[in-house]
Amino acid sequence: MIKRHITAMLGAAILGMSASVVSTAHAADELNVLLFAMPYTRALAELEADFEAKSGMDVNIEVIGQDVFENRIALSFTGKSGDLDVVHAPVIQLQRWVAADWLRPVTAEIDAMETKDDILAGPLDSFVVNGENWGLPFLAGTGMMAYRTDIFEAAGISEPPATWAEMLDVAEKIHTNETAAIAMRVAPGQGFNMFVYPQIMRAYGGTFFKDYPTDLTPSMSTPEGLEALGVYSTLMNDFGPQGIGSFNFAEVTAAMQNGQVAIILDESGLIAQTLDPEKSKFADKISIAAVPSGPAGRSPAIAVHGLGIPADAPNPAASFAFMEWATSEEVLTKIAVSAGFADFTRASVAENAEVTKAFESIHPDFLSLRVQMLNDAIGHYRPLIPEWPQIGQAVGENINAAVNGLMSNEEALEAADEEIAEILSE
Amino acid sequence: MMIPSAIAVGVFAIVPLLGMFALSMTDFHLVKKWDHEFGFQNFIKLWNNKRFINSINVMLLLSVFGVIFQVALGTLIAVGLEKIIPKWRFMRGIFVIPFVVPAVAVALIWLSLLTPTLSPVNDFFDIFGITVPALLTSQYGAIAAIVMADTWASYPFVMLLILAALQGIPSDLDEAASIDGASKLQTFYKITLPLLAPALLMVSLFRFIETLKHFPLIHIMTTGGPGRSTQATNYYAYIQTFQNSNVSYGAAIAVFLFLFAAIISYYVARANARINDA
Repeated sequence: MIKRHITAMLGAAILGMSASVVSTAHAADELNVLLFAMPYTRALAELEADFEAKSGMDVNIEVIGQDVFENRIALSFTGKSGDLDVVHAPVIQLQRWVAADWLRPVTAEIDAMETKDDILAGPLDSFVVNGENWGLPFLAGTGMMAYRTDIFEAAGISEPPATWAEMLDVAEKIHTNETAAIAMRVAPGQGFNMFVYPQIMRAYGGTFFKDYPTDLTPSMSTPEGLEALGVYSTLMNDFGPQGIGSFNFAEVTAAMQNGQVAIILDESGLIAQTLDPEKSKFADKISIAAVPSGPAGRSPAIAVHGLGIPADAPNPAASFAFMEWATSEEVLTKIAVSAGFADFTRASVAENAEVTKAFESIHPDFLSLRVQMLNDAIGHYRPLIPEWPQIGQAVGENINAAVNGLMSNEEALEAADEEIAEILSE
Repeated sequence: MMIPSAIAVGVFAIVPLLGMFALSMTDFHLVKKWDHEFGFQNFIKLWNNKRFINSINVMLLLSVFGVIFQVALGTLIAVGLEKIIPKWRFMRGIFVIPFVVPAVAVALIWLSLLTPTLSPVNDFFDIFGITVPALLTSQYGAIAAIVMADTWASYPFVMLLILAALQGIPSDLDEAASIDGASKLQTFYKITLPLLAPALLMVSLFRFIETLKHFPLIHIMTTGGPGRSTQATNYYAYIQTFQNSNVSYGAAIAVFLFLFAAIISYYVARANARINDA
């Protein structure tokens, strides 16, 4: 026991050398909330006075960059400092955090909520691990396509591509030196290229594992997987803008907003930004469409984020009160309207007249297409296992190496399988 | 006077270092249940880890080329300002500007310059129909991009130290050489450069150790890519510790880096002593 504590303290000490300083313990009527930067979290921080007025508690909402957040969270959780009451909980990290006993379950609290049924079932269920619920969702993002109607019309194309095979044809017709046909994330990382690439892989019948979740034998190196990687590589290398091999979501979105590409596929919240005339030079010439399908169907990307309570939070009841407020219809509606936040997680928000009006002005089909994509998405789009962040990073690096020509597609998929097996065997 | 200094060094340097050594000998993992093993298993694993070996190659490429270019450019500008066109000494303040730019901002500036769809450089050359290659998407291009960004940010450090060293060289040596008929170039190679050698060696050591700590440039400009082309050892330690939760393994990599830097420092200090004795 003593040995375990010494090692844990050493771990915290080493992590502390690289991470920011954690704020010290706080008063009982004060809540410390740590979130990472995105439109919802930035807007929520501006509403903290509303919660203080409602609850009589002081709340400090700190919004920091995602990388700093990861380090800070590891330090806080490992050191068991009890300095945080509510934390940003991306579902993709949830399995890992639960396995490490870093979060407190909130099943009973959620069951007691009067408005539980208003929360979209998919995002709420994605917080269930080992039969317990570990958080309340505030964001459900999905994959979507944005395309330039003027370029399509000029090329005599009347409909956006419905399949990846059609996408290859369309890309060939519209690609020019001035305006590349298509851009997607290629930068390596479980949240970067591994957010978009499985859309193609799954459409062609490729999988990460032989039979998830019962048989976790790696299975990326299959004819289906190879075909999918071939399509991704061809689209990016032959029809993507120059430098696409290092593009992340910021470069992809900016390329569409600045008129440098004709089609992008990315997360719904970012697609909404390309339709916003205040942010996009070509907003009036951009329309949206579903993620293309393949021989095995359609598999839009999905990303769910929520709020959770650290295992060592000193006042869980107050923490949950904040979570309930922050994901309430009232707050999500305010943020949807004020910040153009499209990824809300309550049905009532989608029906709210003010919200409907705000999004209709951007694109009449935006909200309905988002619902369609969320319905088509599978919960384990990226496998829900504790090792995923490590696997996603390793696979993402190999896929990126293939797209950039550092290894062949076959080599990349074989290396991915080998590394997945190695990670799972550790 | 010695006691407070010794306590400060002990608390802020020795204790964390010992902690890192101890942690590297465990199997501590943030997520997985650990078996209380204590030994050299992490170091044995490192020895057989292809990714780790690749990270050392990347680190050496970034460090060696980075130091060569920084020292060459910094020395060139310092000699230029001190010896060739002393009237331009007022320019020192301008040349120092990159040194005060935070590393994150340096990375963002160079990321913008090297991303073809965002770069004004690409826009400019496009006017003449010239396509600037996308450095960040090729293996050696990405390494060259980080070396360029690091050189831009760090040459002023070299320049300032070399300027100080140049000002410490008595001017009558130059005058005596001139009277003896030596050209300016001969004076530089035969007199100035040998006298600058200790300063050049020390500044190279400082910069070499600093380049082992590359992080913001890699993280922001390439995220280690394309593939793993720019995953230097320091960055690999970060991936193991924070992304893979493998804290003890990350600590073992950090121990390797510490020992590597210590060995280099020892040999450079010995070389410096020899030069001073000569």
